[in-house]
Amino acid sequence: MAAYTLTKAGLRCILLEAGRDYDPQAEVNMFAPESDAPLRGAATPDKPFGYFDATVGGGWQVEGEPYTLREGSDFRWYRPRMLGGRTNHWGRHVPRLGPYDFKPFSRDGLGVDWPIGYDDVAPFYDRIERMIGVNGGPLGLENHPDSPAGCLMPPPHPRIPEMLIKAAAEDLGIPVRAAHTAVLTRDMPDAVAPRSACLNATPCTRGCTIGAMFQTTTSLLPMAKATGRLTIVTDAMVSRVTMARPDRAGGVEYVDRKTGMRHQVKARTVVLAAGTGETTRLLLNSGEGGRGLANSSGELGRNLTDSTGASFRAYIPALADRPRYNEEGIGGQHIYIPFWLYQQQKRGELDFARGYHFEIGGRFGIPPAEALPRVWGAALKKAVRSASGATIQLTLRGEMIPNKDSFCEVDPVVKDRFGIPVLRFAFRWSQNEVNQVAHGRRTAHAVFKRMGGTILDPDLPPEKIMTAGGEIIHELGTARMGADRQSSVVDSYGQTWDVDNLILMDGAVFASGAHKNPTLTILALALRASERLAQRLKSGAFA
Amino acid sequence: MTLSRRTTMQWMMAAAVLPMARWSPPAMAAGMGDAAGAAPPFDVIVDWPDTPPLAQAIGYGRDPDLMMPKVPWALTLSVAQRRTVDLLGDLILPRDTVSPGAGALGVGAFIDEWISAPYPVQRVDREKVIGGLIWLDAQSRILHGQAFVAITPGQRGGLLDALSVAVPIAKMAAPVAFMDTMRKLFVLGFYSLPEGKVDMGFIGDQPTPGAYPGPTPEALSHYAQTLDRMGLKMSQA
Repeated sequence: MAAYTLTKAGLRCILLEAGRDYDPQAEVNMFAPESDAPLRGAATPDKPFGYFDATVGGGWQVEGEPYTLREGSDFRWYRPRMLGGRTNHWGRHVPRLGPYDFKPFSRDGLGVDWPIGYDDVAPFYDRIERMIGVNGGPLGLENHPDSPAGCLMPPPHPRIPEMLIKAAAEDLGIPVRAAHTAVLTRDMPDAVAPRSACLNATPCTRGCTIGAMFQTTTSLLPMAKATGRLTIVTDAMVSRVTMARPDRAGGVEYVDRKTGMRHQVKARTVVLAAGTGETTRLLLNSGEGGRGLANSSGELGRNLTDSTGASFRAYIPALADRPRYNEEGIGGQHIYIPFWLYQQQKRGELDFARGYHFEIGGRFGIPPAEALPRVWGAALKKAVRSASGATIQLTLRGEMIPNKDSFCEVDPVVKDRFGIPVLRFAFRWSQNEVNQVAHGRRTAHAVFKRMGGTILDPDLPPEKIMTAGGEIIHELGTARMGADRQSSVVDSYGQTWDVDNLILMDGAVFASGAHKNPTLTILALALRASERLAQRLKSGAFA
Repeated sequence: MTLSRRTTMQWMMAAAVLPMARWSPPAMAAGMGDAAGAAPPFDVIVDWPDTPPLAQAIGYGRDPDLMMPKVPWALTLSVAQRRTVDLLGDLILPRDTVSPGAGALGVGAFIDEWISAPYPVQRVDREKVIGGLIWLDAQSRILHGQAFVAITPGQRGGLLDALSVAVPIAKMAAPVAFMDTMRKLFVLGFYSLPEGKVDMGFIGDQPTPGAYPGPTPEALSHYAQTLDRMGLKMSQA
């Protein structure tokens, strides 16, 4: 987003990517059946989201680039090493943060408020939705802002299992709405990077050669390159920010991953958008005296959050043997359950703060083993035919409140293969998150029961069904923005308080996580910050 | 990695790809049996065998060629083991008027690929499958004097029935887990092939330009009846 905005504004940029070059046109195998892949495409430690998944060169582990954990902590760190980064493989669910989400401390006294409110970001949400292409419908719900006319493309029709979940949930007073999804349902013409409407087939996480799913490698990056002002250097592992003087960044130093050679790049400004963890690591490994750069507040590395995660599943006899039709649609969910209990929460009727939502799954395919009886022969073939399309899932994503035991820091001993000190994570869910997941399970099971479903989930305490920290890949907050330099690392434009030409443009700047998938907000804040930066550069700042 | 986390990741994956069989014992079956465990119809149960370790093998790495997928590890089933696996395929998912048997369709090659793979999930399954094949022949010899492939169809059926009880006695737990694994793998291997998708009546895997058409009138009519039976109201989509 920064490279796109700045080059469009007439500025010259060099983009350093730690991973390898990547061209979806050449490398995305969109149409191959899973049976063409080893192990029918199943997830493995080498390809944690399946063989054909777009992530290359990294994943939960990167060769020669470890990270470490404080004793007693569990944390997962997902690192694609490729041009376009995580946008090549992501969830595409793009809800807006609402007014409450920007002022959580004012509402419940926990965490901190953002230095900006919904109204500050709303115009950028409008523009980002139009830029990246988002489909969705009206929401009409407290703290779930609607997009103005002209921002959204029409949403796809829901599938039968989704319609049944909607009917059952609404009967229990739980709202269900068309999801906002970053997949085109209309063509998006462009002279440089034209993108086509979804053709209602193929898994989005493989990447999309027609550009229907938003990924920077089929949109913002080619557009920025076409300005002639963008230089991209791949396999460039940035090791630290170099300084021109104590309060002014001079550029960065990077290691060429292929040769191991160190190089220096000089620049008038440095934008870090390496992902929450890598951006924080870079700052911690820069500066003088081991305290890290831009860390006069002491907040760098602190306030680490991820979304809570848990999944619930049921076999619905009423969906067995139903009439077949094409249920592929735009890939993921067409509708979802937004958080709906703000008033109950305000009245103190819930044992957790903040919200969660459910992403909805369930369609024709191979039934899970749990939905099949222990039979063999003709009875098994019959059971598979009957149970195909009769299993549904509700997947919870919830907000975590920052706590003092969740942070990242530089490991005092371990270095990666380039000699760069690695990150060490500490992480803990608090009782708030545990209670939230327990509430989510009761809700999901109530919906399943209303549909006459057989619950397939193991009967375990909520702590045991929660994902590990980092596993939802929504890590945020370790260089948070704020209203003053004592309590935050950056201002609302991502500019570090200590170094005025050093700007952060990723999830590290979030003051709180909300339960809403962060990519849309990362993009909106980056657009806002980039335009401000372009303005400052053009008016002679940092000369 | 705990079961719940692995399951969650598979769900995330399944949200995007054709949903796949998942890796834990069938909850549907567990609730249906006698809690004390159903004894098999034979008195002698052979011990669960040790399995020889898998030779060193390498995976496809974090950056394989996605346009030209290939399996870099060697297959490891012996000719006799593969014959038993193929036979089991045709018993577990037999030929009928809709589709061929899983053995005849060659799903045994997928089983071999799976249990020969150098990854943790597959290594655990390997123990169950190789152990199970040894156990099955040993049990078959004890009961009927010959290896599993050589006994009569009725005798084979008796053994598979004993491996399919909802709640097994302790000594049968490992053999039943073997059968669960074979069922899981044959279902995954068979129904991810074109013949299996046709068998399930799966419609998809084809570009459908334009707005997603949504459910057919027949599917909507079935849905309306479902709502009616549940006493639910039709929602405004």
